[in-house]
Amino acid sequence: MHTFEFGRPADAAAAIATAARAKTAQQGADVRFVAGGTTLVDLMKLNVETPGRLIDINRLPLDKIEATADGGLKIGATVRNSDLANNAVVQRDYSVLSQAILAGASAQLRNMATTAGNLLQRTRCMYFRDTAMACNKREPGSGCPAITGANRMLAVLGTSEQCIATNPSDMCVAMAALEATIHVQGAKGSRAIAFGEFHLLPGSTPERETVLEPGDLITHVTLPAPLAGSKQVYLKLRDRASYEFALASAAVVLTMKGETVTGARVALGGVGTKPWRSHEAETALVGQAADAATFRKAAEAALRDAKPQSENGFKIELAKRCLAYALKTAATA
Amino acid sequence: MPAGADLPRIDGLDKLAGRAAYVDDLPTPGAWHGATVRSSVPRGKIRDIHFDPAFDWNDITIVDHRDIPGPNQLKLIDVDQPVLAAGEVRHKHEPILLLAHPSVHKLRDALRAIRVDVEPLPAILDPAAPLTPDLIQYKSDNVLKHIDIRQGDPGPVFARAAHIIEGEYVTGSQEHVYLETQGMLAQWQDGRLTVRGSMQCPYYVLDALTHLFGRSRDAFRVIQSPVGGGFGGKEEYPSLLAIHAALLAEKSGAPVKMIYDRQEDMAVTTKRHPSRTRHRTALDKDGRLLAMEIDVLLDGGAYVTLSPVVLSRGCIHAAGPYFCENIHIRGEARLTNSPPYGAFRGFGAPQTIFAIERHMDVIAARIGIDPVELRRRNLVRTGQPLATGQIYKEPTDLPALMDRALDLAQYKARTQSHAEFNKSHPFLRRGIGFATFHHGAGFTGGGETYLASEVWIEGKPDGTVELQTAQTDMGQGTTTILTQVVAERLGIPTEQVRVATPDTSRVPNSGPTVASRTAMVVGKLIEQACDDLLHQLGRKSGDPEISDDIRRHASLPGKSLVGRAKYQKPASIQWDDKTYRGDAYATYSWATYVADVEVDLRTCRVRVTDFVALQEVGRVLNTTLATGQIAGGVVQGIGWALYENVVLEDGAMKNCQMTNYVIPSAGDLPPIRVVFEERPSHWGPGGAKGIGELPMDGPAPAIVNAISRAVTTTINEIPVTPELLLKATEGRGHG
Amino acid sequence: MRDDPPSSPSRREFLQTTAGTAAAAAIAGSVGGPVVATAGAGVTTADGPRIEGAVPITLRINGKDRKLRVDPRTTLLDCIRETVDLTGTKKGCDHGQCGACTVHVNGRRVNSCLSFAVMHEGEEITTIEGIGGPDSLHPMQAAFVACDGYQCGYCTSGQIMSAVALLKEPCGADDAAVKELMSGNICRCGAYLNIVSAIQQVRRKA
Repeated sequence: MHTFEFGRPADAAAAIATAARAKTAQQGADVRFVAGGTTLVDLMKLNVETPGRLIDINRLPLDKIEATADGGLKIGATVRNSDLANNAVVQRDYSVLSQAILAGASAQLRNMATTAGNLLQRTRCMYFRDTAMACNKREPGSGCPAITGANRMLAVLGTSEQCIATNPSDMCVAMAALEATIHVQGAKGSRAIAFGEFHLLPGSTPERETVLEPGDLITHVTLPAPLAGSKQVYLKLRDRASYEFALASAAVVLTMKGETVTGARVALGGVGTKPWRSHEAETALVGQAADAATFRKAAEAALRDAKPQSENGFKIELAKRCLAYALKTAATA
Repeated sequence: MPAGADLPRIDGLDKLAGRAAYVDDLPTPGAWHGATVRSSVPRGKIRDIHFDPAFDWNDITIVDHRDIPGPNQLKLIDVDQPVLAAGEVRHKHEPILLLAHPSVHKLRDALRAIRVDVEPLPAILDPAAPLTPDLIQYKSDNVLKHIDIRQGDPGPVFARAAHIIEGEYVTGSQEHVYLETQGMLAQWQDGRLTVRGSMQCPYYVLDALTHLFGRSRDAFRVIQSPVGGGFGGKEEYPSLLAIHAALLAEKSGAPVKMIYDRQEDMAVTTKRHPSRTRHRTALDKDGRLLAMEIDVLLDGGAYVTLSPVVLSRGCIHAAGPYFCENIHIRGEARLTNSPPYGAFRGFGAPQTIFAIERHMDVIAARIGIDPVELRRRNLVRTGQPLATGQIYKEPTDLPALMDRALDLAQYKARTQSHAEFNKSHPFLRRGIGFATFHHGAGFTGGGETYLASEVWIEGKPDGTVELQTAQTDMGQGTTTILTQVVAERLGIPTEQVRVATPDTSRVPNSGPTVASRTAMVVGKLIEQACDDLLHQLGRKSGDPEISDDIRRHASLPGKSLVGRAKYQKPASIQWDDKTYRGDAYATYSWATYVADVEVDLRTCRVRVTDFVALQEVGRVLNTTLATGQIAGGVVQGIGWALYENVVLEDGAMKNCQMTNYVIPSAGDLPPIRVVFEERPSHWGPGGAKGIGELPMDGPAPAIVNAISRAVTTTINEIPVTPELLLKATEGRGHG
Repeated sequence: MRDDPPSSPSRREFLQTTAGTAAAAAIAGSVGGPVVATAGAGVTTADGPRIEGAVPITLRINGKDRKLRVDPRTTLLDCIRETVDLTGTKKGCDHGQCGACTVHVNGRRVNSCLSFAVMHEGEEITTIEGIGGPDSLHPMQAAFVACDGYQCGYCTSGQIMSAVALLKEPCGADDAAVKELMSGNICRCGAYLNIVSAIQQVRRKA
């Protein structure tokens, strides 16, 4: 592991000022915030992340879950995943988020991992994690051996010629479906970023995964007021029963009137290069009868642009089934 | 406490309190860390090794093949494997250089500051691929071992068979994932080397060191630390690691500790041999086996290691526990440029038993006979020979054993209720399947004779006895079991028995802790050593004066009181290693395992919902420990069957993490009902037989038989991943 | 076949490099708030006698304050094992993938391999040694004996630390809930069902 300086800032402003000195923002940057450490320490041990400076934000007052004025919820950046998943309001009004978090990692890791850290979770692609291999995300321009290599777990949606790395987060999939907003304080002040605009597609710059700028500190995430009577399901498919990343997952928030879908928010995990909101699936659902045919159509729509690689073609069908199954479960809940 | 009375684990409290000192826990003042520079290609010529001139090398110890004092050979069955590559590499991750430094951080930096330039040579990564001359790397044909087992003459029988059924069965590799990675600590003092570490076979390590350093045995002392899981993975590999640590320790002048991290351990150490088995079977109209032709192909990896004996056990078990007059089994282990495959619980048998037990279900389906009935008609009976001609003389009625297991699993009722369920349910499919199988206890054929194991039991001045063997406890409960055997044979309380730490300077060579041989073979020797001790004392088992006698005898100045026993081949065992005919094993354990599964056609996920493991293992010495060992084997079998998938790139494991090579966690398990049928055998202590490997054999075929029935398709390959199921059930899961 | 190792920079140059890093840290400190620590090149953790550039921290481990000096790169796991010499906590994967290193931080279970010791200044750490010894078994340890919830013992400390923490977590009454919450502790010997029995035994008595 590379050497680094460790600091604990007095307040957010100090943290931001230090981080703003980095050339890039957070992921892969020379100055990094650390909270739970579950992603960062892991990658530092692999020399994939080699920050020269770590800023410990654990003791900043960013660990509260509070109601917002508009009836939504404000989730602090360092709220632990386990606290978020077990929060009574989250379980009642945003259960898809609770389900998604509890479907991820293990109890120990959820006690460490934070809201903001989870937003910045990095891919599990074997080539990204192995510094002996080329990787456009880790070393721009070096190539992508995953495209012709071991890509069973990799993405089928949002891929590019440069990168097919899957975003591994479960929490993010639920937040995409809940239309969360990410709040950032930076060198130039504060701003709010719609969830769908936070993560970037790899395109020709897979090294850049979010819109964060150097110095940007995620302070909290807000969720809009819950949709009255919405039915929420998170479904995750994987090889073993628990403690494994998704082959495919789906977060579904449905509102219905009788047997008709009146509103739908759908996101997929395990198959996209970012948490994959599917407006196509939503369009295919709204106004339609909540039946198997509609759900399958929605699933087909969600995966219409999917691009299989040598080993992960099965994930397209698996993701379709996952989504159809999640929709059916939600509709009949 | 007598045998069978479930003495709690003797090493238990230390482990529960975190006090058991595994090798990485040993205090090692002044120890340096060791690391390995490895090949990045499967085969090639080493052109150059480049050291980054910007790096400070002056305090790094560097060892290459020129530092090896004796032959650069890892002594095992053959001596074809170098301990450090000299000019040529034969597999990815092959060790080339060794480094040591006091700081683990600097050591890792040093690893990154070395570049090895290798000119790639053509590599063979598939054992079935056609051979061209430039691919030949072992003898004339890359065949590491060939085995031929013949009984009768199958050829002409096929012409008159009512049915001829063929099938091909494929099993993937499997990584041990013992929770404690490989680790060794080596220290030279006054020209004598002490090695401590995580190992199954201290005397293998001793032999390998003796050979490589070209010095006599008394220059080396090998001590086993508590072992955090072995499962075969610490049978042969520790010899290599011990040598590496010893070479670094010699050159640096410091004690050297080499502890692999998880990724390195998964990438470079041995794994279960991938296999492909072809069956061609002739049956009469009633489903009786007339002739069997079986071809077994193992991927051996780049060097011979233990492949010959893995193949041997695999071939001997390949025809199953069935009687057939005409059998021809051809086995080959072939070289590939993969890291060598090696011992893993079951040692070839799980591969061939998967094949035969799947094949029996395939036969049953093709000729329209109930799979239970098919097996009943063919299970070996008293007086009939198994494949090597070994006559079945065991007390167990195998069809009755099978019936009992099926009853326990409510096989008939569930077969029926599953059929009803599957007719009505839109997307869930249930199936029940089973496997009948056997597993030979102890070394194959003449192996035990060759080993000539020895055990000692020493009376101590405090009236206790100390058992001295090289048998290692890696969680299977050796220490506890052997204590029981001694206590029972001498008729003394278990509190008066101690078990010596396996330390080659103190214990005799009682052979390796492998092959389900410890309880049975070594246990029997322990009984004989106890008898010798009693004889020396002139006492009978249980005499109240034994303790006082021991105290008195052992306290005599200049006297020692040691009961001894050495293995001698029983006259009744006949084996011919040239023809592979005779008694392949002194005895076998027999079992039927039944798996109940539920397949979700939508998600292509298989859940094992119930499991019955019934076995006849002679007398059970400690029911709690035996049950744990069987259940543990079933858990490993479930993983191998369903999702343990070694992804190879350039012949080597690519998914070297516990996140992408997943093994079962708590949530994956059904209730596992472990049941023993006890029929004391005269081969083992108190009637015990071996059980360690047996539970690895049955789960995969039972589970895949159940899946195949649930989704009414034929799956002949493991692991049964979602993608495999998706293909097998194409178009059926839209639910 | 290979070059011999090149001659290395002198010890003097080596020290200069270290000093350079420290200077950079001082500048950083003036901008980003108090910089607690600097790791210099060649600094070792507890794996050698030289701990130049190490940082003073105080951890409260098993009820005792420990004043330590650690390289910032030292994980909580390595600190517990190598610096404090409590080797009951095990390293199974060092990447949060097996649970063998589970300890309690302020009463909650965490993977000690995935955070740096310096992040835990002043926090309450409990390891297996703080749970119970052979003569003073915690009820969970006793239940592991009664149910034979272990074989090789290497994952056992982590299993017990997880199990003890689970007693205070929201967890359904049935075995399935316990299995799910214990899924972060891998046991290759496959003692899972006995581990679940042990936990349920303790929960029923509680």
